Amino acid sequence: MTNQLTNVLAASLLAVGLWSCNTTEPTPSPYETGAYILNSGNFTDNNGSITFLARNGTNPATDIFNAANARTLTGGLQDYTEIDGKGIILVDNSTAGQDKVEIVEIGTFKSLTTLKAPDVENPRFVVRAGLNKAYITCWGATGSGANFFASPGYVLVVNLASRTVSKKITLPKGANRITVVGSEAFVGSDGGDRALTVINTETDELKQPGIDVGVNTNPIDVDANGRLWAYVQETNEMVRVNTASKVVDKRLRVGGSPKTPGSFALSQDKKTFYFVNSFYDASDNYRQKGETYRFGIDDASIPATSPFIGRLFSGLGVDPQTGIIYAGVTPSYKQAGYVIRYQPGGALIDSVRAEIGPSRFFFR
Amino acid sequence: MLVLVGLLIRQVAMAQFVSVPADSGRVLSAVTVRAIASERFLAGQKLQRIDSATLLQFRFGALTDLLAFNSPLAFRNYGPGQLATVSFRGTSANHTAVLWNGININQPNLGQTDFSTLPVAGFDRLAVQYGSSASVVGSDAVGGSVLLSSGPDWRSGLGISLGQQLASFQNNQTQLGLRYGTPTGRAWQLSGKTLAYRSQLNNQYPYAERRNYFVEQSRTGQRGFIQDVYLRHRNGRQVSVNTWLTDNDLVVTPQDTIARERTRTQSARLLATYEANRTTLRLGWIRDRFDYAKGNVSTPSRTRTDRLLGRAEREFRLWPSRAGLLTDLRIGGEWSHYRTYTDGYGGQLITENRQDLYALLRMQATRWLVSATIRQAFVTRFNPPLTPSLGAEHQIIRHNLLTLTAKASAGRSYRVPTLNERYWAGLGNPDLRPENGLNLETGLSLTATLTDQLRMTADVTAYRNRIDDWSYWNPDYGYRVENLQLVVARGAELTTSLSYDHNRWRAGIRAGYALTRSAQQRAYSTYAQDVIDKQLPYVPIHTGTINAYVGRGSARLTVQTQATSRRYITFDESQSFDGVSLTNVLLESTVRIGPASIRVQGQANNIFDALLFSVKRNALPGRNFSINLLINSSFVSHD
Repeated sequence: MTNQLTNVLAASLLAVGLWSCNTTEPTPSPYETGAYILNSGNFTDNNGSITFLARNGTNPATDIFNAANARTLTGGLQDYTEIDGKGIILVDNSTAGQDKVEIVEIGTFKSLTTLKAPDVENPRFVVRAGLNKAYITCWGATGSGANFFASPGYVLVVNLASRTVSKKITLPKGANRITVVGSEAFVGSDGGDRALTVINTETDELKQPGIDVGVNTNPIDVDANGRLWAYVQETNEMVRVNTASKVVDKRLRVGGSPKTPGSFALSQDKKTFYFVNSFYDASDNYRQKGETYRFGIDDASIPATSPFIGRLFSGLGVDPQTGIIYAGVTPSYKQAGYVIRYQPGGALIDSVRAEIGPSRFFFR
Repeated sequence: MLVLVGLLIRQVAMAQFVSVPADSGRVLSAVTVRAIASERFLAGQKLQRIDSATLLQFRFGALTDLLAFNSPLAFRNYGPGQLATVSFRGTSANHTAVLWNGININQPNLGQTDFSTLPVAGFDRLAVQYGSSASVVGSDAVGGSVLLSSGPDWRSGLGISLGQQLASFQNNQTQLGLRYGTPTGRAWQLSGKTLAYRSQLNNQYPYAERRNYFVEQSRTGQRGFIQDVYLRHRNGRQVSVNTWLTDNDLVVTPQDTIARERTRTQSARLLATYEANRTTLRLGWIRDRFDYAKGNVSTPSRTRTDRLLGRAEREFRLWPSRAGLLTDLRIGGEWSHYRTYTDGYGGQLITENRQDLYALLRMQATRWLVSATIRQAFVTRFNPPLTPSLGAEHQIIRHNLLTLTAKASAGRSYRVPTLNERYWAGLGNPDLRPENGLNLETGLSLTATLTDQLRMTADVTAYRNRIDDWSYWNPDYGYRVENLQLVVARGAELTTSLSYDHNRWRAGIRAGYALTRSAQQRAYSTYAQDVIDKQLPYVPIHTGTINAYVGRGSARLTVQTQATSRRYITFDESQSFDGVSLTNVLLESTVRIGPASIRVQGQANNIFDALLFSVKRNALPGRNFSINLLINSSFVSHD
């Protein structure tokens, strides 16, 4: 009897052991040219992911980092770009001290190295700032309420050849979007600062003073004429900056109050901005409502009265090769969202199921 | 198992705190009916009593762990010492009633219980009631109920007990208690228990990650105090007062003074009961405090809710002269008054009253047990449905060595929306309707004595629970709560046990398997099409548990295993955590030194070092160890 029981015990332990070993082998597959859909994930689920969608494909590859590395990103997907053969993924975990920057080999998405705390805390945006050099803006540790931006922001300077952090450049609170023009990086803020901070990308030093534009100004993109466009939250304006003279030479108020613009994307010819103008309707339980608009860089105003597409999206992107517009739809952060593709003129092409919260796009 | 407990009791004399057998004969006196109604008036439904040997093994554990290793209840676990909520038979955390001495102690703002705040040391008996039991329990008893209760030990004497746990990661626990009993005068007898406990989970892991997944830094301090006093008259009248204070202090990322998050959960529960003949009167007061703060922990967002409740019940024996048929009717009424100050509601006082009237009928014949029950609740600004239920059990085979019982039941259930669901500024919805459900179940249960030494039990149950107007924080509508969903949960449970007892040797195995399919059935928006018929998040389709033990004398080796299949984390089955299993090994023995008995339990948890995830996708700890020491000593005994 004791023997039988021993056998039963041994068999159940064995069964348990086998169940524990049930992991799937990764099958690396190269991701060639196409769209990377950045899915933010749900905040505390820490399940952001990247979906790959070929230009002519309708069958996307989901969570390609997990597929290549047999582990998930473990955080919200904040930003992604590619610099000299390396992909840089910014991952924002809901727990302090658990944010990451994953550096992967482009094409295969195999992880090359992972940067972590204390270097990385609330990473926001990444840009190329020279050969094998990435600038990553970070908020630092955040608190709550009025003390949300509790730490100075900073730019993490990453040497992608050695895959190490070479410097931390301290910035005003809430350091946010960043755009590089020539040998200068322009950094915006979400933390109440008035300036676009300017960094010399050759020396990694701040240029003093920055450009005073308005509270919470964030750079968006550089147009066909080489001018930098930025959005000023304080005044609800799109502004055009002459980066050589550091002068704001155009200010356009975005209409359609009480809405605020977001998810800006520049057209293929860099002459038209698309954006989503939205608001939370207090009379309808703060449901988010809005539509998608566009304006030309030479327009004299942005009335935002007749929508380009009469829908609210959680993200917009324009494929620089084809001009096709990719628009993210997030039904909820507890089910997969969709990406709807439109011709540059606004004609609907198709709809593809992505992952949780498709909110940004990267094309290669 | 009871045999083992009996031995232990003899060995440890009267000083045992926890080994009061879950033997209803002890509780039920001839004239006074003291069993909690849900254990008597739900014929045809599955009731699982957790034996006292298991309670003793988990004496330093959380209720979460005990249930996960011994039942198919699935938990959403946010990390060690962090929030743990339950899914019972495919329902949400709001659909399990947690009763303490017959009173629902779900936190009323959230309408659920954080099982991590309820240590097993906090109660004497534990049972799990499967399926809806609204007619008997009231609101929340949709998927099932967890029944915690305290009980007197009428033996005279004084016992002192000291418990200490030392565990991996610099975690430790201490329990200090007294149990006392004495006659007071010629007609009265007193029994009491005082227990204080504390635990500190420092969670100082020697690693920051496991297989590239972070192990979250957190610290939990838990304190509790229990005071039970029972006074019994020779004629059966009894007065009792039960008190349970709990204080749970959780800090996530304590080392980061800017980003740390502190959640403090405190509860005071006080219950006075008077029982005479067939009348029971209860008066209770429960205060729940809940503070959450990020960064500066001195200015938390606060929730304060008080509940005053009264309950009166009387039981009648109908047709007492009729031979062969015992018919009992219990009628009762309950009143509760809620008062809440909650920052999230605007901070002003909000009150509401709830009343319940119910009638419970139980008929027992030689082979038949039938119950028919009905309840109507009345809630301020609500109109809960009338909830009847009907159940029956029939002994198909009734033999000394073999019994086979068939069971069936049908019952309606309801859930009064939580205070948050109605009053949360902006998102709450005062126009919510109570959810209502219909639970059907049927089963067979078998007990067999195979040889003098070998016994077996087997139990199989199938159920279908349909819940309409399931309320939902609709992310498509600014997270406003709406009665949107229709959920059908259906499944089957199989449990079986085999026990061997010969001379000083004992061995046994208990195995459980549950199949749970629970899905949303109604499309209420374009994209809700994607979630129809999909398994609800965090509800595994397959769960299994195995407990196997072998022992001689007081020494015992136990292997506990729980396994769950894939758990989806989204409503559309697009993302999931893989299936996992977790195995613990326990070795225990009791020695006597003078008047003291010393119980030592060594425990290796997660011995296969399996990678399990919290809801936040953090790795749960790998293999870890603990030593539990429980010293019981009786100083005086008049036995």
